[in-house]
Amino acid sequence: MSSQTVVLSGTGLRKSFGPTVALAGVDLVIHRGEALAIMGPSGSGKSTLLHCLAGIMKPDSGEVHLLGERIDRLGERRRSALRRTRFGFVFQFGQLLPELPADENIALPLMLGGLPRGQAVRRAREWFGPLGLAGMEGRRPGELSGGQAQRVAIARALVVRPAVVFADEPTGALDQATGHETMRLLVEATRHNDASLVVVTHDPQVARWCDHVIEVRDGRVLPYATPAPASMAGTEGR
Amino acid sequence: MRSLFDLTWRLLRGGGRRGLLGSSLTLAAVAVSTALLLFAVAVNFAFAGRAERGAWRNPVPLTGTETGQARAVQAVRTGFVGDRALTVVHLAVLAPGLALPPGVPRLPAPGEVLLSPALAELAADDPSVAARVPGRRAGTIGDEALVHPGELVALAGHTPGEAIMTAQWKGDYRLGPSASKVADLTGAPSSDATAYQALAAVASVLMVVPLLVFGGAAARLTVARRDRRLSSLRLVGATPGQVVAMTVAEAVVTALAGALCGLLLYAAAIWPLTGVRIAGGGWFASDIWPGVLPVGAVLLAVPLLVGLSAVVGLRRVVVGPLGVARRQTPPGMRFVRVLVLIACLAATPLLGAGVSLTVVVAVLSAAFLAVNLAGPWVVGVIGRITAATARRPAALLAGRRLVDDPRSAWRTVSGVALTGFVAGFIGLLTPSASLSIENDPMTAWLLRDIRTGTLIVLVVSFLVAIVSAGITAASSILDRRQTYALLRLAGTDLAVLDRARLLETLVPLTVMGGGSIAAGVCCALPFARLTMSGTGALTLLVCVVAGFAGVIAAGAASRPLLRSVTADPAPRPD
Repeated sequence: MSSQTVVLSGTGLRKSFGPTVALAGVDLVIHRGEALAIMGPSGSGKSTLLHCLAGIMKPDSGEVHLLGERIDRLGERRRSALRRTRFGFVFQFGQLLPELPADENIALPLMLGGLPRGQAVRRAREWFGPLGLAGMEGRRPGELSGGQAQRVAIARALVVRPAVVFADEPTGALDQATGHETMRLLVEATRHNDASLVVVTHDPQVARWCDHVIEVRDGRVLPYATPAPASMAGTEGR
Repeated sequence: MRSLFDLTWRLLRGGGRRGLLGSSLTLAAVAVSTALLLFAVAVNFAFAGRAERGAWRNPVPLTGTETGQARAVQAVRTGFVGDRALTVVHLAVLAPGLALPPGVPRLPAPGEVLLSPALAELAADDPSVAARVPGRRAGTIGDEALVHPGELVALAGHTPGEAIMTAQWKGDYRLGPSASKVADLTGAPSSDATAYQALAAVASVLMVVPLLVFGGAAARLTVARRDRRLSSLRLVGATPGQVVAMTVAEAVVTALAGALCGLLLYAAAIWPLTGVRIAGGGWFASDIWPGVLPVGAVLLAVPLLVGLSAVVGLRRVVVGPLGVARRQTPPGMRFVRVLVLIACLAATPLLGAGVSLTVVVAVLSAAFLAVNLAGPWVVGVIGRITAATARRPAALLAGRRLVDDPRSAWRTVSGVALTGFVAGFIGLLTPSASLSIENDPMTAWLLRDIRTGTLIVLVVSFLVAIVSAGITAASSILDRRQTYALLRLAGTDLAVLDRARLLETLVPLTVMGGGSIAAGVCCALPFARLTMSGTGALTLLVCVVAGFAGVIAAGAASRPLLRSVTADPAPRPD
C-alpha cells in the first residue's frame, strides 16, 4: 500500500539557539498521503521542527531524509531548489505577493521552475474552480478575504505537485468557520494530489483534521492525547 | 503633548536594529542633501562676493552733466603672465575726499604703486613682471579688494595728464576699459562677474531640484517603514492629529540630526573646495561659507521640508486605520502630468538671448519639476508593458512592482534621470576646447570655466543620484522584507530576487534616463549657439555610463542587506 511509503523522516534532530534548546532529539516519520499535526505551546520548538524538516534550517545534529535522500547537509542552493520543487508552504498570512494578481501568485513557483508564463498561468487557473475561487483570478491579495487568500496560498503550495506540504498555523488569522473550511480544503486537496501534509498548530480543532497528532514540549515529541500513532517513532529516545 | 513626544521618542529608540538602520539611512540621506544644498546656496554667495570685491576695478564713468563731480580718472588694463591675469588699475586723483575701496589701505600718489601679495612676490622674483607695474611700491592690496586669493593686481598712481589716463582703449573691452572720470571708487560688478553669477544661479537650480526630490524621498523612507505601526496606532484610537504629530516629530528629529551632520560634512569640504579654480583662481574660505543666516535658513528649511514630505506621505495612513493594511490596485495617475511636461518643453523655444535671467531660471525650474512630475506616470506605463510582456518571473515581479508603486520606483531612478536632464542640458552647451589662451584669452577662460562648472554640477547630480539609488534600494528591501523572506523560504533563489530588483530599476532608468536627456537637450537648444561639441558628446556618454554603473553598484551594495533579511528563518509580520 502506497501509504506505507516513508516520504519524510527526521532522526535525532537537535537544534539550539544560544543557550535555548529548541529541539532536544526528535525522531519523526511521515508517510505518503498522511496528514500530521504538530501541536505544542508557543516556544515548544514546533516551528523549529518544521523548519528543520523543510530544509529551511540546518539541525545541529541528526538527519532529515526525503524519499531516502539525505537533505539536511545539502547546500543552500540545493535546499532552495528542493523547497521550490518538492515542498509546498502555507503560512498564517503574508506569503502572497501583494503586487501580483491571484493567478500569477499561484503561477509564480511554476515560472521559477522554468515553465513559460502562459503555461504557468493556465495551470494556475485550473485551481480556481475546485477551490471555490472562480472569477477571482485577476484579484490582488488585498482584494481577497482572509479565507480566499489562504485558498490561493493552498493552490500555490500544491501547484508544483510537491511531496510534502508544510503549513504553519494556516488558520491562525481566520475565524473558526473559515478556518475549518480552509483546513478541510487543505487536507482534501493535499490528499487528492497524493502529497503528505505537516501542519504546525496550537489549535486542537485544526489538529483534528489530521490523521495523526503529535505534541512537542521542551524540544521533545510526546504522544498527543491518544496512544502513539503508527506514524511516530522513537519518542522514547530520551 | 509631552506624552506624545515621549511616545515618539520611545518608538524611535525602540525600533530595533532594522528601525535604527532605517533611521540611519534617512539621517545619511538628509546629511548628504544638506551638505549639497549648502553648496548650491554657497555658490551664489561666492560669486556675488567676487563680483562685489572686484567692482572697484570696473569704473562707472560719469556722464556729461555729472562731470563736475569727478574726483578721479580711472583706467584698467588686464594682461597675462602665463595663464594668470595681471590687472593694473591706473588712478589719477583729481579732487580730495575720495573714499578708499575695502582692502585698499591708501591711494597711491603719482609714481607710487600698490601690489597684491601674490603680485609683489612674483615681481620680486621676475624682473619682467616688475617692469609691467612701474612705480615705487607704496603698500599692499588686501584680500577685500581681490577677487580670489593669489590674484595679480596693482593699483598705480598717476597725474591726470599722463598718456594712460587719456588714451582710448581699442582692444577687447574686457581687457581694458578706457580712462574715465569717476566720482568714487565704488564701481559696479563687471559684465563678466554678472555672467558668472547668472551661470551660478542656473547651476544652483540644476543641483537643488534633484536635492529636494531626494530629501523628500528620504522623508518618505521613514514614513513607509512606519506605515504599519502608525496604522496600528490609529486602530488603538490615536487621532489623526496625534499620528501626524508623532510622525512629523520623528521625521523632523531625524532630519535635524541629519542636517547638522550635513553642516559638518560641508564644513569639512570647504578647504578642498577653495582649490577649485574658476575665472583664474580659487576661493577664500569665507566665499565658500555662505554666512550664518543662509546656513541657519538651510538648517531650518531641511527639517521643515522633510516634515512636510512626511505629512504628505502619511495621508493614506491618516485617512483610515485600514488604509495601508489592505493593498489594492492603486488608482492610475493622470496623463495631465505628462501634459505639464509637454507644455514646459513647448515653452522653451520662446526663450532666447533676449529673455531675462529670471524667466530662464523659472522655465528651467518648471521643466525640471515637470520631468519629476511626469516620471511616476511614465514608470507606471513602463511597468504595465513590462508585466504584460514578461516571460520570466524576475521580469514579471519587476513589472508588477512598477505598476504597484510607480512613485517609489521613480524615486530610485529620479536622481539619475534628473541628472540626465542636466547632462542633456549641459552636453549641448559644453564648448569645444579649440580656443587657446593666445588668440582669445578671455573667451578661452570663460569656456574653461563653463567646463569646470558643468563638471561640478554633474558630479553633484551624480552623487545625489547614486546615494539616492542606494538608499532607496536599501529601504525598499526593508519595506518588503517579509515578502522577500517568505519567497526565499519557499525556495526562490536570491538571484531571482536580485534580478527582479535590478530590472525594477534598470527598465525605468533606461526609458526615463533617455527621456530626460532628450528633455534637457530640448531646454538647452535656445541657448546653444555652439553646435554640440565632441567634448559635450563625450560628457554625455560618460554621464550615461557613470549613471548606469552607479545605480547598478548602489543596488549591488544592498545585496548583503537582502541576504540578511531573507536569512531570517522565521519571518513574522511586525
